[in-house]
Amino acid sequence: MKKLYFIFWVTINISLIGCEKNFLDQPRPTESVNSSVIFESRDGAEAFMSGILRVSRSKFERDDSGGLYSMYFARVVKGNDLILGYQWYLFDYENDNREPTYVRTTFSWEFPYSMINQLNLFIDGVKNSSSLSEAEKDEFLGQGYAMRAFYYFQLSLEFQHTYSYDPSLPAPPIYEEPALEGRPMSTMSELYEFILSDLNTAVQTTPQNRINKSYINRNVAYAILARVHQVMGNWQEAANAAAIAKQGYDLNSSEYALGFDDMNAKEWIWAMPQRSDQTNYFLIAPHSFTDNVNDGYGLAFWNVEFTSLFTQTDVRNTFVDLYNVGNGDQFFARSSSKFTFAFSSDIPIIRSPEMILIEIEAKARLGNETEASSLLLELQQNRDPNAQASGNTGSALIEEILLERRKELYGEMGVEWFDAKRLRRGITRTGNHRVGSSANLVPDDKKFFLKIPQKEIDTNTNIDDSINSNR
Amino acid sequence: MRLSLIFLGTLIFSPLVIFAQQNINVSGVISDEFGMPLPGATVIEVGTVNGVSTDFDGNYTIEVLEGATLEFSYVGYEPQTVLASENPINISLMPANELEEVVVVAYGTQSKQSIVGSVAVISESDIQSQPATTITQAIQGSVPGINVVNTGGVPGTNPTIRIRGVGSINAEAAPLVIVDGAPFNGNLNNIAQEQVASISVLKDASSTALYGSRGANGVIIVTTKSGKRASPTTISINSVYGNSNMATPMHDLLGIDDYTQFFWEAYRNNELYENGLSPDAAAVAASSNLISALGYNPYEVPEPVNNQGVLTGNAAWDTDWKKAILNDNALKIQHGLSISGGSEKTTFYLGSNYLKEEGQVKSTYFERFATRLNVDTDVNDYIKSGLNLSYSTSKQNTPNQSGSSYSNSIQWIYTVPSYYPLYKRNSDGTLFKDSSDAYLLDYGNNNSQIVNGIRPALSNENGLGAVMNNEILKSRTYLSMNGYIKIDILPELNFKSNIFYERATLDNFRYTHNKYGAASSVQGRVSQDRDFYTTLNAIQTLNYSKSFGSHNFTADAIFESYRFEQNLLEAQGTGYLPGVKVLNGSTVPESVGGSINEERILSAISRFSYNYDNTYFAEVSYRRDGSTKFSKDTRWGNFYSFGGSWIASNETFIDDIEWIDYLKLKFSYGELGNNRDIGFFPYLQVFDTGYNQLDNTGVISSEFVDPNLTWEKTALYNFGTEFTLFEGKLEGGIEYYSKESIDLIYDKPLALSTGNESIKTNVGAIKNYGVEFSFNSMVVSQEDLTVNLGINFSFDRNKITNLTQEEFINGSKKWKVGKSLYDFFIRESAGVDPEDGYQMWYKDVETNQGVKTGERITTKEYGEATRYYMDKSSLPKMLGGFNANVSYKKFDLSALFNFSFGSYVYDSVYASLMSGFESPGRAGHPDLVNRWQAPGDQTNVPLFLNGQNDFNSRSSRFLFKNNYIRLRGVNLGYTFDETWMEKYQVQGLRVYFQGDNIFTYQSHKGIDPEQALSGLTNYRSHQMKTFSLGMNIQL
Repeated sequence: MKKLYFIFWVTINISLIGCEKNFLDQPRPTESVNSSVIFESRDGAEAFMSGILRVSRSKFERDDSGGLYSMYFARVVKGNDLILGYQWYLFDYENDNREPTYVRTTFSWEFPYSMINQLNLFIDGVKNSSSLSEAEKDEFLGQGYAMRAFYYFQLSLEFQHTYSYDPSLPAPPIYEEPALEGRPMSTMSELYEFILSDLNTAVQTTPQNRINKSYINRNVAYAILARVHQVMGNWQEAANAAAIAKQGYDLNSSEYALGFDDMNAKEWIWAMPQRSDQTNYFLIAPHSFTDNVNDGYGLAFWNVEFTSLFTQTDVRNTFVDLYNVGNGDQFFARSSSKFTFAFSSDIPIIRSPEMILIEIEAKARLGNETEASSLLLELQQNRDPNAQASGNTGSALIEEILLERRKELYGEMGVEWFDAKRLRRGITRTGNHRVGSSANLVPDDKKFFLKIPQKEIDTNTNIDDSINSNR
Repeated sequence: MRLSLIFLGTLIFSPLVIFAQQNINVSGVISDEFGMPLPGATVIEVGTVNGVSTDFDGNYTIEVLEGATLEFSYVGYEPQTVLASENPINISLMPANELEEVVVVAYGTQSKQSIVGSVAVISESDIQSQPATTITQAIQGSVPGINVVNTGGVPGTNPTIRIRGVGSINAEAAPLVIVDGAPFNGNLNNIAQEQVASISVLKDASSTALYGSRGANGVIIVTTKSGKRASPTTISINSVYGNSNMATPMHDLLGIDDYTQFFWEAYRNNELYENGLSPDAAAVAASSNLISALGYNPYEVPEPVNNQGVLTGNAAWDTDWKKAILNDNALKIQHGLSISGGSEKTTFYLGSNYLKEEGQVKSTYFERFATRLNVDTDVNDYIKSGLNLSYSTSKQNTPNQSGSSYSNSIQWIYTVPSYYPLYKRNSDGTLFKDSSDAYLLDYGNNNSQIVNGIRPALSNENGLGAVMNNEILKSRTYLSMNGYIKIDILPELNFKSNIFYERATLDNFRYTHNKYGAASSVQGRVSQDRDFYTTLNAIQTLNYSKSFGSHNFTADAIFESYRFEQNLLEAQGTGYLPGVKVLNGSTVPESVGGSINEERILSAISRFSYNYDNTYFAEVSYRRDGSTKFSKDTRWGNFYSFGGSWIASNETFIDDIEWIDYLKLKFSYGELGNNRDIGFFPYLQVFDTGYNQLDNTGVISSEFVDPNLTWEKTALYNFGTEFTLFEGKLEGGIEYYSKESIDLIYDKPLALSTGNESIKTNVGAIKNYGVEFSFNSMVVSQEDLTVNLGINFSFDRNKITNLTQEEFINGSKKWKVGKSLYDFFIRESAGVDPEDGYQMWYKDVETNQGVKTGERITTKEYGEATRYYMDKSSLPKMLGGFNANVSYKKFDLSALFNFSFGSYVYDSVYASLMSGFESPGRAGHPDLVNRWQAPGDQTNVPLFLNGQNDFNSRSSRFLFKNNYIRLRGVNLGYTFDETWMEKYQVQGLRVYFQGDNIFTYQSHKGIDPEQALSGLTNYRSHQMKTFSLGMNIQL
């Protein structure tokens, strides 16, 4: 019996621990895959692109610095049309949020660069893949280049005066491939050259088909290109790109009143989708903030001077007096029902009316006012059946176009800030704003861009403290 | 089979054996060489299994045959035999060559005398005198050189433990914990202190080298109780009832009227000084916008503060959030039962312990049930075998009480001012009643009314609601089996095989209410994780010992294999009916997840020790480890140590010095490794799954990694002395240590623009060094009165010795060669400008070429201000403990203080309370009353400004000295020794009062002095002070 006990013990020992030669080689990662899986098949590369898109709408830092939607909304609240209650984005609303240690500053730098790093890994991997065909490579590379250009474009908007102010000014560093070492600042002209080169490749190779509207197709690439040319003032190129970008995304005014929460809307070119199991909860802007009925953060309102510009029959007139203030001028006098908040609301990134308006503006600036006016009226009449031609020409026409952009895009991508910055105008607070003239922006105001984050200066040997002097 | 029979037999028959003997009654007291009673000493009738143990006062009574011989024995003492007689026999046992005391060390035991390294022991009697609930509490303040920090007051949470400084940055810096010989991966709180026989703390290389790749940060060895051979079965019952409150007060907060007027002032100041309005216009603007800015109006008038800044209304509420959310008189109960005993060949110990402890925040509790069975038996003359079985379950409900989640109760108290109501209010300020006439908690998200509807801070949540409506329940089940078989092959050679299996299960259940709070819009959310952690460890040891004359050799050869598997599963869903809190009730599944990961280590170990005449000792250890955490090329590491000691008092020339009883000098050196807490495969750059975009699988690239990542290595020196002086009156030890860790595994920061925050690589070196002292003295030793005092303390320093780049800035610290990891590097406050009330900081003057001139000036631009080393560290300069044991007649008193001096804390909580109304709806501290108000005011509190500013941004303004002394435990007992007890067969009865944390001195008030090692506060709850009454009965 005692012998049995001993034999039993040895058996247990051997069976539990094993005498396996490769005892240390057996454990393998289970939650991740290695790069050979990713870049050696179409499915793999597609999965990487899907992951990158998912991250672009995740929670990066905190409630007002989540993803791309937070960059957009921080621009929205800087304008004159939206009035923000005491809420997240408070100091963006006060136009006082640009110091090197602030979360906004760090986020607006770190988030695009983290996307660019993933895209650089994507581009690098696809290029060097031995299994993908050349045609497949081109497809994927197009998407990668378009998105990389998009994020460099965001950096150019956030960290310097507009391009036309002085293209020789320092601009954020350019990384063409994955890097461990921080690079020095570039210049605005280098940065825009790089952006254009990426986009010009992308528009040629990105296919028309895509999985859904959250992915990049040729229209999206053209739409980004149109925005870039619009900022640079390359009007012919802007008109051409916008005209192609809008193809297939016809206006549909009946969708305007449906809550801007479904990316399958006809007019949407590029979007961030959500689903109840893939949600960012209360973070998503603008929906969570501008919807004062459903259970989001709420407390974003609209300037009565802006809301009074809309006719009653304009489908874009979504404004209501939720708190029964009547003619009172309290800052919460007007709410909007444009965006419906739910955990599953989709978020627009680019819609076709913006492309139409870029085309209109470009044509007007190129002297083709007749065509510009007729395209403008077409859009106006789609939105408001009673709309009449204004007969405006010259600068009055340009102003009408810019107003139309505000009316069409309010709450979405920060149209006021975008236009004021690129056209080197200011933003003057009027009406029933809670924070008035102290938040005004004068033309070429430094408040149009952020300082370079302290964290970058602390970690990048090629950038030192002097970068922020006189910024 | 045989084993269990023996066990059963022992359990059933041993009491009978005692009663079968009838003749004379022998009684008396057993004491030590100083006359202190020895509880638990054994009295055996020689040649039989008849025996008893002494009670707390060393008393025994035994019935024996007339003419029998009695043997008196106690661990570490020379046994004595005496002929039985009816007269009392009082025995004073002498230490068995005093230092034969056996100490548990790596892979075995050694006599205290033969140890060449640094091993501190917390003995059973030390543990018994402080009936703490967890073993980590027993360590704090008891052993020099150990820093135990309990961050937060959630009962059942593991503290941070550091032995001899902080030896790692990103990898694990905590010691390895070994329970009964095997690495322990569970929660230490699942072990009941009552069931622990001893705790050994191994601090230097020679004592930890055998743990090789996991020993660099020290090792804590916990040994659980076992029965005594040939002793009758003893039953011990222990019950404690306690009542707890916060040990230290929280920061004070502003009341509603001050709050309202101050906010008006902040609004006015912003309009006046920032926006350029005239004083009158600014005041009017402040009065008219006050309510819309704050969102709520507790006053019955529309403009409660007039344009002179005077309050004109009465507040309808003034919410005391502390009272609403915190526990008053929390409960603490503990019951323990143990049965132990043994025959000639078999011993057993069976212990069961129940604990329930409530925390500072309402609904917080920790409940544990722990059972342990240890059995050892001689299978025959040359085979021994034993099994330790442990099963414990615990439940812990822990509303968030640290960090930045909206539902964190402590953050809530410090964020939401008394200005906001507990219960929902109508626009006019009256209480809202629902259709059933009930009051509802105010969640601050009622967007149907613009006044008293939406709270500017932490909307859609309620501090009390988060605690009462939600659940964060952690259930742990822990099962371990530890068996061994030992075969004596030759008298000097034995083989031992040890298998340990541990299964820890964590069920982490979170319910967020279906109607109120964060998940109300999706009708509630349940998320549940169920994690299995399985450890399998096998050790095969060959041990050889031989003596030739005065030469004594011992050699061990050990082979060990270790497997740890982590198996995680999680699910989350929303859409619940009221009262339904199980995943089955979910209508919308939100997420599922799970993963299985495994770590393995394969090791060959050897140890050789030699001594000459028990006077000169030498020891060499070597271990080779292979770890799955590194690539094939870098996974093997060699670790070793050597050491020696000399017992000088054995030499004739010291023998003559009368006041030296014992003197030992020792030295050790070794190199160890560290691979813990760096993930399972830190060397692989991979793509992480889980980033799906709608129906499409999505992955993203992990952060950059270094494929050649390898072990951290630590070189440790130890020099020390141990002594006993003045005929045993003073005992002590002094040790110097130095340990340098190189090739630190560190997330080296990368430029943000590379898109990676950091890369995990082997970078740089840090050194910890210090001196440790411990002294123990029997101050009074009389028949009725004994007083024993002890003190231990250490001075520890931390220094960076190598970095691959000049410096890193890491949050509030900058790392640079020559500085500590924990030296604050922040902006320096230059006070408040008396002219305009703005906060100022210092800034270095630079020439146009960017060269520092050495001068500095003040600036009001925070971003421009220079960061400086403050010469202040978050690590204490000195820490230690003080203990006193007094016994007087039947009373006994023991007290244990622990203290920490010289550390600094950055109180970010206080900083947030001093924000001066930068944002509306944020709580304030009464110190705000000293703010700047008019030009010429000399104050250190800047003006109030309701606009973005940096006044309370991180600077020396909120850096405070954090010294403290805490009476960690005090225990006052009375032992009954009455005749009536015998009638009920009660062998011992003691009643006692126990106080935990009942006194705290702290240099910076408002926080718990035990904060994270980084020295940053983070809205943590406080530890509790507990007053308890307890009773211990032995049957």
